[in-house]
Amino acid sequence: MSERTDGQAGGSAEPDGGRILPVADRAQVRAYARRLTLQHPRALAAALVLHGLAAACGLAVPWLLGGLVQDVHDGAGVAPAAVALAVAGFLVGQAVLVRYAVYASSALGEKVLAELREEFVGRVLGLPLSAVERAGSGDLITRTSRDVDSLSRTVRHAVPETLIALVTCAVTVGALVLVGPLLVLPSLLAAPVLWFSTRWYLRRARDGYLRESAAYADMTDGLAETVNGARTVEALGLQERRHRRTDADIARSWAAERYTLGLRTVWFPAVEFGYVIPIVATLVAGGAFYIEGWASIAQVTSAVIYVQQLIDPLDRLLMWIDELQVGGASMARLLGVSEVPDDREAGTAAPDGRELRADGVRYAYREGRDVLHGIDLAVRPGERLAVVGPSGAGKSTLGRLLAGIHGPRAGKVTVGGAPLVELPLDDLRGQVALVTQEHHVFRGTLRDNLLIARPEADDDAIRAALAAVDAGDWVAALPGGLDTAVGSGGEEVSPAQAQQLALARLVLADPHTLVLDEATSLIDPRAARHLERSLAAVLDGRTVIAIAHRLHTAHDADRVAVVEGGRISELGSHDELVAAGGSYAALWSSWHGTPR
Amino acid sequence: MRSLPAADPGIPDARSPVRYLLWIARNQAGPLAVGIAYAVLWWLTMALVPAFVGNGIDAITDRDLPGLLTWGALTFALGAAQAVTGVMRHRMAVHNWLSAAYRTVQVTVRQATRLGATLPRRMSTGEVVSVGNSDIAHIGNAIDILLRGTGAVVAVAAVTVIMFGMSPVLGLTVLVGVPLMAAAVAPLLKPLHRRQHAHRDLQGELSTRATDIVAGLRVLRGVGGEQVFADRYAAESQRVRRAGVRVAAVDSALEGAQILLPGLLIAAVTWLGAAFAIEGRITPGDLVTFYGYAVFLVAPMRTLTEAADKLTKGHVSARRVVRILNLEPEMTGGAARSDGGLLRDVASGVAVRPGTLTAVAAATPEEAVAVAERLGRYVGGDVDFGDVPLDTLPLAEVRRRILVADNGARLFAGTLRDELDVSGTAPDEVLAEALHAACAEDVVEALPGGLDAPVAESGREFSGGQQQRLRLARALVADPEVLILVEPTSAVDAHTEARIADRLAKARQGRTTLVCTTSPLVLDRADHVIYVEGGLARAQGTHRELLTTAPAYAATVTRGED
Repeated sequence: MSERTDGQAGGSAEPDGGRILPVADRAQVRAYARRLTLQHPRALAAALVLHGLAAACGLAVPWLLGGLVQDVHDGAGVAPAAVALAVAGFLVGQAVLVRYAVYASSALGEKVLAELREEFVGRVLGLPLSAVERAGSGDLITRTSRDVDSLSRTVRHAVPETLIALVTCAVTVGALVLVGPLLVLPSLLAAPVLWFSTRWYLRRARDGYLRESAAYADMTDGLAETVNGARTVEALGLQERRHRRTDADIARSWAAERYTLGLRTVWFPAVEFGYVIPIVATLVAGGAFYIEGWASIAQVTSAVIYVQQLIDPLDRLLMWIDELQVGGASMARLLGVSEVPDDREAGTAAPDGRELRADGVRYAYREGRDVLHGIDLAVRPGERLAVVGPSGAGKSTLGRLLAGIHGPRAGKVTVGGAPLVELPLDDLRGQVALVTQEHHVFRGTLRDNLLIARPEADDDAIRAALAAVDAGDWVAALPGGLDTAVGSGGEEVSPAQAQQLALARLVLADPHTLVLDEATSLIDPRAARHLERSLAAVLDGRTVIAIAHRLHTAHDADRVAVVEGGRISELGSHDELVAAGGSYAALWSSWHGTPR
Repeated sequence: MRSLPAADPGIPDARSPVRYLLWIARNQAGPLAVGIAYAVLWWLTMALVPAFVGNGIDAITDRDLPGLLTWGALTFALGAAQAVTGVMRHRMAVHNWLSAAYRTVQVTVRQATRLGATLPRRMSTGEVVSVGNSDIAHIGNAIDILLRGTGAVVAVAAVTVIMFGMSPVLGLTVLVGVPLMAAAVAPLLKPLHRRQHAHRDLQGELSTRATDIVAGLRVLRGVGGEQVFADRYAAESQRVRRAGVRVAAVDSALEGAQILLPGLLIAAVTWLGAAFAIEGRITPGDLVTFYGYAVFLVAPMRTLTEAADKLTKGHVSARRVVRILNLEPEMTGGAARSDGGLLRDVASGVAVRPGTLTAVAAATPEEAVAVAERLGRYVGGDVDFGDVPLDTLPLAEVRRRILVADNGARLFAGTLRDELDVSGTAPDEVLAEALHAACAEDVVEALPGGLDAPVAESGREFSGGQQQRLRLARALVADPEVLILVEPTSAVDAHTEARIADRLAKARQGRTTLVCTTSPLVLDRADHVIYVEGGLARAQGTHRELLTTAPAYAATVTRGED
């Protein structure tokens, strides 16, 4: 029976925990698989016909052999050379047909697979950001790597093999009927055994394999965590704790593996019996038929070989159903990504003007826990607005709302009167852009990394953007200049440099309003201030909302908004707020370390 | 079956990849032997089927009903034995696969914790992580194939004996023919492997590209560019598709050849067999048996090829594991003892007085880090702890007494309580005090379940500032004799920073603390401030003294403000 199920390893999804991305249900997976199968009907039909013809050629040999046994037994005149030539002829025909059949089905598989993964990545790229943040990137990374791989195996092998096996089974049964309809009857004994055991197995297998691969992924994630945090483990003496965690993960993986192994322990032998029953039944019944004179020796011989030949496609069929389930589980997780409800719906309103406003804005990451409690803010076009306040006050959340990343739970955020979350994404980018302290250098050249924001920009524009963020010098010093490969596997880029690149992207994107959330926090404080000033010169006339914990940013801004406890508690120019003697004034004096 | 994992994975034999694989095999010798026994029996039952069926056919041609029933019953018994040995073999195969994989995970994790800070310096962590992602599977495969591989060898031997008993000439034809035909497809294998390789490479790159997109998703959604990435991904995806079709071109030819070449052998066997049967040298049933073996022998031959492949891959994976296992921690300790006291870095002249809150303000962040790394003994250096050189103390003791808490420190998955209390013994009041000192109470309050809430991988659900405060709280709960904090407030706002600075001094009252920072808020609360420039302590005193006496210091800490 199946070799491929030895040592399962597959995708990951934590079945528990509320903050994981959704997984599609069985009906959705089925509907999608059906749509996928029927997407290219002509190519599919061609592949199936070729496989059918190939299988038919393969069936000629037992038929010839049966005749041979009969003739030898009857002592009739036999020409071994002629029979052998006929055998060779059919097998050559089968070989040629198989060549084209496999090619046709593989090419189709590759095509479907490419469509599938491109669709998935497209879906990931359109994923509502709130969902990504809640799920953590780990789950999504596993889906993109392991589940896509696992589905690749399914589409590349399991789907064509299943179809081929079905075709071969059908053709073989057809041949059996042609040889002697009576001789089909003994084989039917096996049908209930195969049917019920397989149903029993498949009912339980899906969840079992989901749990199994989730536990396996937990184990490898735990290993990755230990390795990535090796220094912290040493510093805090966490060795024993990591060992315990590893062993507990392994124990859970083992428990999950034992469950599916238990399922197979029932199913495999049942299936094996299902195979041996037709052979024995055909042999014994066929012999009786022959003795009774109901069948010839040629018919019985061919039939016995046919039922033996039926095992292979049948076994493949059942085995790949198993694998189809694993692929189905991966598919469920891939499709689950599109189950995330969209957080925006494009409306018809077009912005009239550049004024960015928040009216009565509330927002919650978790039901019932608002982090913003009714924010009203009108940002004047062209102004520099600094947002300050203690950690956890909701500054970053407000920034994301002002950039249209999240939609408010209540109230609205508008630009020129049009709600931000109702703008088509491309229009939104032309209006507002966000740069956060989170930085990521994408794999590719430095130029690629910058062109993300404006694909048509030329090198002069790129250099100007780099100069505006004080990055011109170090980029020029790189071995390949703008063509230097960066990102994973490329030239090392420090976090501070990555932040400069993020800002340069923004300069290139050139929206009229920018939201900078701690966008210079990783840059040396003195260099940061220089950068901010040179950036300000380039961005002259743009609206800039800068969320900052360093007060010099506030000091340099036109207005300062103080956010405390999810509300704007103070709003005005630096001097006004200092004069007002409120919480900003206290903050300012604590920054200087002396009362003033 | 034995329960997994092993409580103690044991000490791996890492002298060579082969020795490592042998060590793995030795550790599960029992299950491995049982598995091999089942695999051999399983193959044998399969190998006997064509012979039994041939005898059945002969019974039919002889109109021998009792004989037919006997052979029918024997064939059925054979099928039953095959079902039982097959599933037992499978169970043992899974058990052996998992035992090998699990043990490799265990020894890799234990080696990673033994290496600690040395690991990221000596090897890319990605490479070590890939042990979990691919190498354990290859090692599992290598162990697993031992079962079926051994069985296949026995099956070939058994079939040889049966065939020679019936007709040496035909037996020899089949026995020589099958491997010959298997070998004849070899010329196709090279181009196939080359194309598969190219395909896999492209696929790997595509996968990296996808992971890259996911990792940078937040950034992408901030600035736009989703379409550029979708297009780029689609272009690479189509490249992978074309490479896949190129693989299919050779692969389909191979599939065809795998029918054609054994087909020629079957034609030859039919020819010879028919001639022998007419001459009466073999029975018609024997003819069916030989046909059966010409078809059957392909399976054990393929298993043997598979074995060669899996053992090779297992060897490559074992090599990586062995390379990791052979790394040694860079830092070692001695057996001396120290009563503590002044912690002094000779190279820079930075000295941390016991029981005080000392601050190092360095002209560049790297200089401060260098001092902290030496004082914490993460790199070598001339450091005295009291009147004893630090490198003569046992390393475990140094780690226990001196804690360097930097911003690279990781938060692990688990409950927040476990995360904060690394010893697992701290009472709630201690946790509450530490959270208060780190101004991190709001982080806990916002979590449903508070301290018992689960924390996701590397604390990703927390903002940079929140993570930093949690790390600080963790360091305070650990309450080491000497605490070295590197830029502990770089990601928090001024307001919070001021509060942390006040509370930190109180929380560490009477303990030795060194803070590397350029924040005036924190420096103002320190008992003693050392200004480091060019790797040397240039000026010392209180923050206010230094502001007036050391202009370079003033320029550093006021960040060029007007």
